Amino acid sequence: MPSIMPNSSNSSKNKYLKLFYQYFVNHIITLTILTIMICFLIELLRLGPIEILNIFNSLKFDQIQILCSCFLIIFISTIYFMLKPNTIYLVDYACFKPPITCRVPFATFMEHSRLILKNNPKSVEFQMRILERSGLGEETCLPPAIHYIPPNPTMEEARREAELVIFSSMDSLFTKTGLKPKDIDILIVNCSLFSPTPSLSAMVINKYKLRSNIKSFNLSGMGCSAGLISIDLARDLLQVYPNSNAVVVSTEIITPNYYQGKERAMLLPNCLFRMGGAAILLSNKKAEHKRAKYRLIQVVRTHKGGDDKAYRCVYEEEDREGKVGISLQKDLMAIAGEALKSNITTIGPLVLPASEQLLFLLTLIGKKIFNPKWKPYIPDFKQAFEHFCIHAGGRAVIDELQKNLQLSSEHVEASRMTLHRFGNTSSSSLWYELNYIESKGRMKRGDRVWQIAFGSGFKCNSAVWKCNRSIDTPVDGPWEDCIDRYPVHIPEIVKL
Amino acid sequence: MATTVNIVCKRTVVSTKAIEPGKYLPLSVLDRFMEKNHIRMVYYYQTSGELELGKLTKKLRETLSEMLTHFPIVTGRLLRDDMGHWKIKCNDAGVRTLEAKAKGSVEEWLRNVDREKELELVYWEDMLEKPYYWSTFYVQLTEFEEGGLAIGLSCTHLLADPICATRFMKAWADISLGNKITSPPIFHPLPPQRSQNKKPNNNSNPYMGLISHYKSIIEKPIFVKEAKYTTISMGFSHHMVQACMSMAQFIGSSSPSPTPFDALAGLFWVTLSKIKGIKNGFVDMSICLDVRKILGLDQGFFGNSMLYNKVHLEENLNLDLTENKFPQATRAIRDVVAKIDNDEIMDLIEWLENNDVNSSKMMNVHDLIITSLEDVDPYLAMFQDMFKPIRFSCYIEPVFGEGHVLILPNPLDEGPLGRVVMVTLEEEDAIKLCEDDFILLFSPTILMKCVK
Repeated sequence: MPSIMPNSSNSSKNKYLKLFYQYFVNHIITLTILTIMICFLIELLRLGPIEILNIFNSLKFDQIQILCSCFLIIFISTIYFMLKPNTIYLVDYACFKPPITCRVPFATFMEHSRLILKNNPKSVEFQMRILERSGLGEETCLPPAIHYIPPNPTMEEARREAELVIFSSMDSLFTKTGLKPKDIDILIVNCSLFSPTPSLSAMVINKYKLRSNIKSFNLSGMGCSAGLISIDLARDLLQVYPNSNAVVVSTEIITPNYYQGKERAMLLPNCLFRMGGAAILLSNKKAEHKRAKYRLIQVVRTHKGGDDKAYRCVYEEEDREGKVGISLQKDLMAIAGEALKSNITTIGPLVLPASEQLLFLLTLIGKKIFNPKWKPYIPDFKQAFEHFCIHAGGRAVIDELQKNLQLSSEHVEASRMTLHRFGNTSSSSLWYELNYIESKGRMKRGDRVWQIAFGSGFKCNSAVWKCNRSIDTPVDGPWEDCIDRYPVHIPEIVKL
Repeated sequence: MATTVNIVCKRTVVSTKAIEPGKYLPLSVLDRFMEKNHIRMVYYYQTSGELELGKLTKKLRETLSEMLTHFPIVTGRLLRDDMGHWKIKCNDAGVRTLEAKAKGSVEEWLRNVDREKELELVYWEDMLEKPYYWSTFYVQLTEFEEGGLAIGLSCTHLLADPICATRFMKAWADISLGNKITSPPIFHPLPPQRSQNKKPNNNSNPYMGLISHYKSIIEKPIFVKEAKYTTISMGFSHHMVQACMSMAQFIGSSSPSPTPFDALAGLFWVTLSKIKGIKNGFVDMSICLDVRKILGLDQGFFGNSMLYNKVHLEENLNLDLTENKFPQATRAIRDVVAKIDNDEIMDLIEWLENNDVNSSKMMNVHDLIITSLEDVDPYLAMFQDMFKPIRFSCYIEPVFGEGHVLILPNPLDEGPLGRVVMVTLEEEDAIKLCEDDFILLFSPTILMKCVK
């Protein structure tokens, strides 16, 4: 990716110039209106009060004209408020905290790998190299069925894991928000790789005895970015149904998808994917604006599936022995980069301040007209957001995004630490990351958060939230007992 | 009643807290000497019936997880250090745990149990070629479908002796009751030789009992008999042991009365010699004792501290009189027990270290070995929802040679002198032992008999 403009901020003179420029452009409308008002005021003062009265009388206002003007104003205001989309509030969310007995230290993982794949030492070596560089810690958890030697991925065990993860998250959500099961109007469950009949959403409805006229949806097969797709769906539904609550459950059930063969491209997910889940309560009720944590500003979805290479880069298939696994192609990072660029191009104009957009436009014009050798300007997204939640898909993803968006290590800390403590929990990782930021006491009212997720397809989805109220520590959540130990330094390679 | 044990699943239980990487624990000379042996123990419990058995096993696993945080040596793996000696890398790999189901109830099982069946309750795997991936401890939880639970614990003798293993179980029981561990484990090397008391010349000490015994073990070639071994278990009541102790004394003797160990060891030594057909004298025998107190180690010391020493008879004994045999045997045993002191043990340790002993020798392959586990109280291991163990068995494997006698405390008795003796012998000898008059004189309750 190209580097920043030659206007580097080494000298403080440049820095002040830049700040002045940003303030000026970002507040141009305010400044213009202010200027006009000042001019008007000066003009008024100059004219004097008698002159003003004379002008006013000469306008010959008619009763009907005044009434029509008032009605017009009222009419326009009503249309405006009706057409304005409902504000979507994120009241609260709960992340699943795996039981400590499900912990999988590196040594145990490698030992099991060796015992199960005893005839394939090369595959075991490969797994060890992946694990060493993965950025995971010693406290990530796998579901009980995968702890067995050999693993026991039956459907019953998968259901048990689903019940454990989803029901704990839901119970936690009910406690945190005081929500009653009967008050849920919309239920969306997303779990990519486990899709039984009846669906997981039916399982939730059965467990909590939800209403019979509930609008329930179950999204499967949509990969790690399905969490934001569910949020998008919830948002659209909440525009149609006034005064409603929507619960979104994002999870990935590991049990049935533990690859038991020896193809290296398919062993990678085994090393990275871990147990996790989250339940989120969204609402469009006006009453929630006091206690809601966030407001949803934007959701931008980008799908690169039209490109064959992007479509095939994360592909579930059978290996030569008939064992099902997800194979990851080598060009995954390149495709992710492309998808990200596409997403940024769409979201940029919606969130970036005017100053950045102007610079980008000017450099673009300049490149076209003056000198094609000019490097394109990469907008500084740090101006648009205070916090970043990058899906903890793997260390490489976070590194790549940090480089591309020029983020500091504090910006990507939430993602790296979530990867370390919980592993890749797929669609729910964004919520663990958000909880990390809250637990560190960094979330203040008015802060904007950018959640980015990548997933098979190949998709890149973003959501932008604005913090509605400052969140105080300590925060009740999965980081409660360990937040003080973080951030930790994660070595490049852990010696196993 | 046909009782079979079906293994339901096998997994690895890890501790609840992650260990700081890069920790190593060395193994002492005494540990390394026991490389080829392993220990298997079974604890039997009656369950209170409040919890379904599946839930009970789950709770036990959870408490095991918590307890393992205190035993990094158990969750670690074996590695060789620069000098080729074993050490443990505390890599947090965990303990292999198996769950099994058995038909019938625990009482029925105990009525019909024998060695083969009992060993099904405690899983063991011999050391793999690559011991870095080999679990040193194994736990098996067997649920009896009609009530009861058996916990089988097996471990390599490299890390622990039976006393440590029982402390391990006790720690687990403490945690399950929600208490702190009564004597938390401590891992440190054996106390070093105190230089100021060092004798100027080792060879000036004529009685090198321990060293010469260990030397002979190292030098003797291993000759493994192709025989079938079986184990029988006998319980001796308080009164019977008292009677045994009084019989073990010379008539009119003013020397202090023998301990229950001395008396019972003497009893079995004499009887087994007779059974094996040795007319003049006794079968070669060594005793195995815990020397923690002598070495001044604290309660929580985790590591081998049981030593073997040969028992010789004095020359020119009048053994023609059969009524002398028993007291003679007992006295010989008592002398050896009394003679072991700190200096001698230190000398042995030093000798073993200096001679860089190749630890590929096995214990229990020649002499009859009589081990005292009297200081151990396995019946203290009371878990939540389960009462005191109703039975405890211990095996120190493998056994070849003349056999192995293990003397344990007996809980199901009014007095402190009651003992349970577990004898592992060749099958024919075992059958003869059960029918021997001398033994039957003390009316033992046969807890485990050999299957004919």
